[in-house]
Amino acid sequence: MPLFDSEFLKKLEYLSLISKRVFRGSLMAQRRTMQLGSGIEFADHREYAAGDDFRYLDWNLFARHNELLLKRFQEEEDLHVYFLVDCSRSMAFGEPSKFDFARQVAAALAYIALADLDRIAVTAFANDIVADFPLTRGKGRILSLLKFFEGLEAQGEETNLERVATGFIHRDQRRGLVVVLSDLYDPNGFERGLDLLRHRKYEPFVVQVFDKYEKEPPDLLGDVEMWDVESGNSRKVTVTEKNLKQYRQLFDEFQTTVQSYCNRYSLGCTRTSTEISFDELILKMMRQAGSVR
Amino acid sequence: MSLTNPTALMWLLLAVPVVIFYILKIRLKRVPVSTVIFWRQIFDEKKPRSLWQRLRHLVSLFVQLALLGLLVSALAEPFLASEATHRRRIILVVDNSASMKASDVAPSRLAKAVEEAQGVIQGLRFRDEMAIVSAGTQPRVVCGLTGHQRTLRDALATIPPTDGPGKLKDAIDTARRLVSKDAADGESRVVVLTDGSGDELAKVIAEEDKKPEAERIKLTVIKVGQQTPNVGITRFQVRRSTIDPIGYEVLIEITNHSDEPSGDFRMELTLNDRTADVIPLNLKPGETWAKTTQSTTADGGVLTAKLTTKGEKQSEPLQDALAADNTAVALLPKREKMPVHLHTAAGNLFLQKVLEANALVQLTSSRKDMPKEFAANAIKVFHKDTPAQLPPGNVLVVDPQNDTNLWKLGNKLPTAIVTKQEKDSPYMAHVRLDNVILPDARMMTFTPAAEKPQVLASSLQNEPLITLIERPEGKVLVLTADLDRSELPFRTAFPILVMNTLGVFSGAAGELRESYATGAIADVTLPAGEFVLRSPDGTTRKLPAGPTTTTVGPFDACGVWAVVPPTPNAAPVEEFAVNLMNKAESDLRANPDLPTRANAQDAGLVGGFGGRPIWWYLTIAAFVLAAVEWYLYQRRWIS
Repeated sequence: MPLFDSEFLKKLEYLSLISKRVFRGSLMAQRRTMQLGSGIEFADHREYAAGDDFRYLDWNLFARHNELLLKRFQEEEDLHVYFLVDCSRSMAFGEPSKFDFARQVAAALAYIALADLDRIAVTAFANDIVADFPLTRGKGRILSLLKFFEGLEAQGEETNLERVATGFIHRDQRRGLVVVLSDLYDPNGFERGLDLLRHRKYEPFVVQVFDKYEKEPPDLLGDVEMWDVESGNSRKVTVTEKNLKQYRQLFDEFQTTVQSYCNRYSLGCTRTSTEISFDELILKMMRQAGSVR
Repeated sequence: MSLTNPTALMWLLLAVPVVIFYILKIRLKRVPVSTVIFWRQIFDEKKPRSLWQRLRHLVSLFVQLALLGLLVSALAEPFLASEATHRRRIILVVDNSASMKASDVAPSRLAKAVEEAQGVIQGLRFRDEMAIVSAGTQPRVVCGLTGHQRTLRDALATIPPTDGPGKLKDAIDTARRLVSKDAADGESRVVVLTDGSGDELAKVIAEEDKKPEAERIKLTVIKVGQQTPNVGITRFQVRRSTIDPIGYEVLIEITNHSDEPSGDFRMELTLNDRTADVIPLNLKPGETWAKTTQSTTADGGVLTAKLTTKGEKQSEPLQDALAADNTAVALLPKREKMPVHLHTAAGNLFLQKVLEANALVQLTSSRKDMPKEFAANAIKVFHKDTPAQLPPGNVLVVDPQNDTNLWKLGNKLPTAIVTKQEKDSPYMAHVRLDNVILPDARMMTFTPAAEKPQVLASSLQNEPLITLIERPEGKVLVLTADLDRSELPFRTAFPILVMNTLGVFSGAAGELRESYATGAIADVTLPAGEFVLRSPDGTTRKLPAGPTTTTVGPFDACGVWAVVPPTPNAAPVEEFAVNLMNKAESDLRANPDLPTRANAQDAGLVGGFGGRPIWWYLTIAAFVLAAVEWYLYQRRWIS
């Protein structure tokens, strides 16, 4: 079954409409700059100076007060949205896989951004950056973007978000929103990579994906050979009820850590299980963003 | 120690696959995980001790082998050598008499006795044998000597509770015969499970003690139940009145088998569920209250006496441990109408009213012409005008004025005074004619056809005044007094005499249908056909085909038993009211001098190794071991 079928495209269109009509500008696009320039929204007046463009003189005011004042407008600029999609092997876990789910969510968000005339770029990563979809604009690019997503595969070794972020921030590109779609299973910790993005004035938005069996592992009691799908290493262990209890506790602590980190730095954060559909998640994100504003 | 079933050791071969599976490294289940970050924290933080890590699988193997060993040992049924050499022969005598239905120990004394008996059966050792005898109503060998526990348990479960009297002596005699049938080596013992009510068992023990050592049997009594007070009906009978044609008399006796006062209660008497009498009672400790009550009704049916507590609105059953003696039943015979024909030429209102006063009399009369025929079953009453040939059937003649085939009339006695009367005759019961003057009474000379007339009352001159003549075709009572001239209309003697006469003629005076005590038997004459004996709970027992006279019983349940044709809704041929009416069974206090044991354990009968057979302990040990293994390994508390 293809990842992005016609049904998926219909859902994208639907989400785009919902974004415009109901949650206009609330998700990520249509950010105004603090600069004043050639926009259409009036900001204030200033005194005319030699060399100013006559077209912006407020003639009505001059007629009433005999004073030359220049109208100033808030300049609009399009938002740059970068998607960092984790395609390490751990993302291939689950049914449906976290990787498929992350790609669908990324595609949906990208479509909404493109529909809002924002610019988007996609970077796939595992232990390092493995693929890029260059900065692009306009809804017409959506098909090539979906093709890019379909071409991605779960690969690489253990996730290294710090290395990925380092590579990402050293690129010559405008600052913008960085949507990180990952399970955040970085042996060295996910915080370092996100810190780098923050320090370089990017605005990270974390979408943490997990599978229900990661939260509540089944059939693990007893003597088992535990196989790490990311590293490919195996380990023979005896799992007891007590171990399972510890595991659940650690997993919950990890999730709490992710949320606390994002809260501390006012980062957008969505933690989701693959049990819900991607469109439900997008709507949930819209609602969260709408309620925050 | 030996084994009962050594072939079961073959099951030890199962150890081979267990060991093989242990030696063969079974491939572990491979479980993919998305990350080992968390697992690493868990397992690397607390590493198991290496010695235990190495031994834990070996210990698991040993536990499994031990489990197998225990189960196989249990299957082999080991027994001690002493069990084999000291075989026991135990005869269980289970008392299932009425008192064993008492509920002072839940659910009943019999159930408790059965429970104790189960313990004795459970403790049977290898080569032990046991038989079971029930001792209620009619001693019965429930199960012959066997060592098969399931058979014994099944037989024990078939012992029914009864309302009958205990027959412990007979049951112990039966047990003695079972023991002596096979007087081989080993120990023989009779174990009596009873509540110890009555003194029959004490007598048996006393007799046993008097016997020589060689003839004596080892008797162990296990007592069930407590010293429980009980109020019960110990006698209940009803009969028709000998005087009143529709009257009946009820004899009831209630005993308080207790060292305490009974408290307030009442006895309700109902006839066919209609209340006939209610008597409030409060009996002293050990008091027996008896009373005869009288009442009237022509109806027959089931008369029920029931002990109830006094309720504000509704009576409740008397709260005591034994329900069987709180209710008693009796059968009251129904009074049928009796046709009487009065022929009186001159007419006599007094005689007519006397006859009409009898509620059962269906009176017809004639005055001028003597009827040519009379109804066959009618009682004929002739006043003055008497046929020369007296008709067959029962005849009452008052003041005859002409000769008949039975007597010749003589001269009148001017002042006949009654000086002698037959007081024992049922005709003369309550009739007082002493010194009553009967003017113009006629002298009578009886013909040979009268055979041996019985003079019931005579004058000073020994002239018969009231005479009974018994003919093959019927009785004749003749009174020679002139009713109009004598004192009889002013006295009660004449109406009573007529009532007595009609009662005797109808054959219903003082009719008694005895209520039987449980355990009794009764004779019944069956007409032609098939019949069954139906017990109060509806179960039936086939009787010999009639016509015949057979014996039914012994009755082992309280209530109304009936002999009926084996067709639905058929009318009964005969009915029997059966009540406990047994003071020994109603008295729920055991004889304190009886040498008893509190339970089978106390009597040393829950035998085997520490009370149970060795295989039982082996099985329990196996289960315990399995539970430990499951807890430690399956629940993964050992990692």
